[in-house]
Amino acid sequence: MNNRLKVLRAERNWSQADLADQLGVSRQTVNALETGRYDPSLPLAFRIARVFEQPIESIFSE
Amino acid sequence: MNGSGSRKPHGLRAYAATMLVTVVVAGIAGAGAAILGEGSGWSAIAINAAFFSVAMGAGLAGCVWWWRGIDEAAREAHKVAWWWGGTGGMAVGGVILLSIALPDEGALLLQGMSAQDIFTAGMGAIAGCQIIGYTIAWAVWWLRHR
Repeated sequence: MNNRLKVLRAERNWSQADLADQLGVSRQTVNALETGRYDPSLPLAFRIARVFEQPIESIFSE
Repeated sequence: MNGSGSRKPHGLRAYAATMLVTVVVAGIAGAGAAILGEGSGWSAIAINAAFFSVAMGAGLAGCVWWWRGIDEAAREAHKVAWWWGGTGGMAVGGVILLSIALPDEGALLLQGMSAQDIFTAGMGAIAGCQIIGYTIAWAVWWLRHR
C-alpha cells in the first residue's frame, strides 16, 4: 500500500516525532509507515486521516 | 498541534521497568520458596507452587500493563515473533529433545541425572530455544520494517 504521509508531514513542517506524538505511536512506527513497510490498522488509519484533516483515500492508495 | 486524544506509547524505559519489577518479584518468590519450600512432600510442592503462582501472576499483570501501552507496530512485531520465533524454536528444541531421548545411545548423555534434572533440562531446552527464536524473529521484523 502506498501513502502520502511523508509529503503531508513535510508540508506541515512536523518531525516524525511530532507526528508520532499526535498519533500515539512510536517514531519507529511512523518511519515504518512512511517507508511503506508497515500498513496501519483501520483505527490508526482513521487517526492519521483526522490528524491531517483529509479523507483516508486521499492519504492511502493501493 | 492537537493531541487527538492519543498518549505516548511505552518505550524502552517502560520495558526496562517491567523487566526490573518482574526480576525483583521473581527474586522474592525464589527466596521465599527457598526458605519455606525446602524439604519434601506435598507441603513443599504446595508452598513452591504458591510462591511461583504469585510471582507468575505479578509478571503477567506487568505484561498486561506493558502490552496495553505499546503501539500496534510493536504488538505486531511481538505477534510475529511469538508465532514464527516460538514455533521455530520449539521445532529446533523438539529435534534436540527427540534426538537425545529416542535412541538408546541418548541415555548415555543423561547418565547421572535425576528424573528432576532431566525434566528441568527438557523444559529448559524447549523454552531456551523458543526465547532465542523469539528474539531473532522480533529483531528480523523490526529490521525489515525500518
